[in-house]
Amino acid sequence: MVRLRKQTLDGNVETLLLAILEAGPSYGYAIAKELNQRCQGILQLGEGTIYPVLHRLEEKKLISAKWRLAENGRERKYYRLTARGRKALVTNRQQWQMLGVVMRRVLKSTKNLSPKPQLKGATI
Amino acid sequence: MSRALQKYLDRVMIYANRNKKDAAQIRAELEDHLLKKIADLEESGLSREDAVFGAIEEHGHPRTVGYGLRKRFSWVDVRTHGTARGFVAVGPKAVGIIAMGGVAFGLFAFGGLAVGLITFGGLALAALFSFGGLSAAAVGYAYGGFALGLVAVGGFACGLIATGGMAIGLIVPQAGTSIAPQNSALYTQYLQDSFLMSRQITVISTFLFWGTLVVLILTYLVLTKMEYHRINRADPKLVN
Repeated sequence: MVRLRKQTLDGNVETLLLAILEAGPSYGYAIAKELNQRCQGILQLGEGTIYPVLHRLEEKKLISAKWRLAENGRERKYYRLTARGRKALVTNRQQWQMLGVVMRRVLKSTKNLSPKPQLKGATI
Repeated sequence: MSRALQKYLDRVMIYANRNKKDAAQIRAELEDHLLKKIADLEESGLSREDAVFGAIEEHGHPRTVGYGLRKRFSWVDVRTHGTARGFVAVGPKAVGIIAMGGVAFGLFAFGGLAVGLITFGGLALAALFSFGGLSAAAVGYAYGGFALGLVAVGGFACGLIATGGMAIGLIVPQAGTSIAPQNSALYTQYLQDSFLMSRQITVISTFLFWGTLVVLILTYLVLTKMEYHRINRADPKLVN
């Protein structure tokens, strides 16, 4: 299976996390779990690497956090989307949809532009 | 909680390098994540030990997680794993600031130098001319002074003065002798002053440039050493 490269993803994990928090407040582990489920194995991030992104989003005030008592009796940090975050998500979603359309159109059209290169009798 | 988990969190927090309050909160958050993950893995049938190591593995390398959790814009970054062991990097913003500062100082210094060279050229030409004017006026050969005045770009004004002096010199040789060299000398003096001022600007700018560079390099080395010792004190295995 083809996996996404980290460089391709850089800067876009923020949007992914905002999209997950759109459903409602959640905490780190649940967010990571949900992200992995939605990605269906195409994207595999170290679970710990979502925390820097969550903290960055919190700094940007796109999400807010609150410590609450969890079912195991421990304090747990819950994150929720702010109005600003919701707005950013709408914008990012539109941008991605447009980019998706552009990429599909351009990549599809290049198919017919040049013949397949021949290398020592082999066809790529 | 298992020792392996504590050790992992310790290492993450060494790299994160946050203040006590932040560190406690981040650690609590990561700990909660890992405990929940371990519980889930155990539920799926893994032994406690396998669950702990599985959770740690999926959480990511302590360095990767820790560096990500650093306060943004850390000036000094010590990488101590793999092929980059001991490699030290300065934050990209710091590099940018140093480079911009250097370029600014450099431009200023070279600008000063250029001004100095120009005024030095002017001074040379003016001096050349004034001597030409002096001799021409003194001996009454005003044409020589006039020619020199045209050639000397910086001393063109002097040329005009000397030409005036020459004219006077033609009519009243004594007057020409006294006026032309005097004005030329004044202009020469003015150019010389300008040159000295430019030279001072150049010297100050150059000193500031190199001085700042040396201070920045020393600061960088001290910060790097401090960072290295901090990680070494916290966990020598991370740097040895």
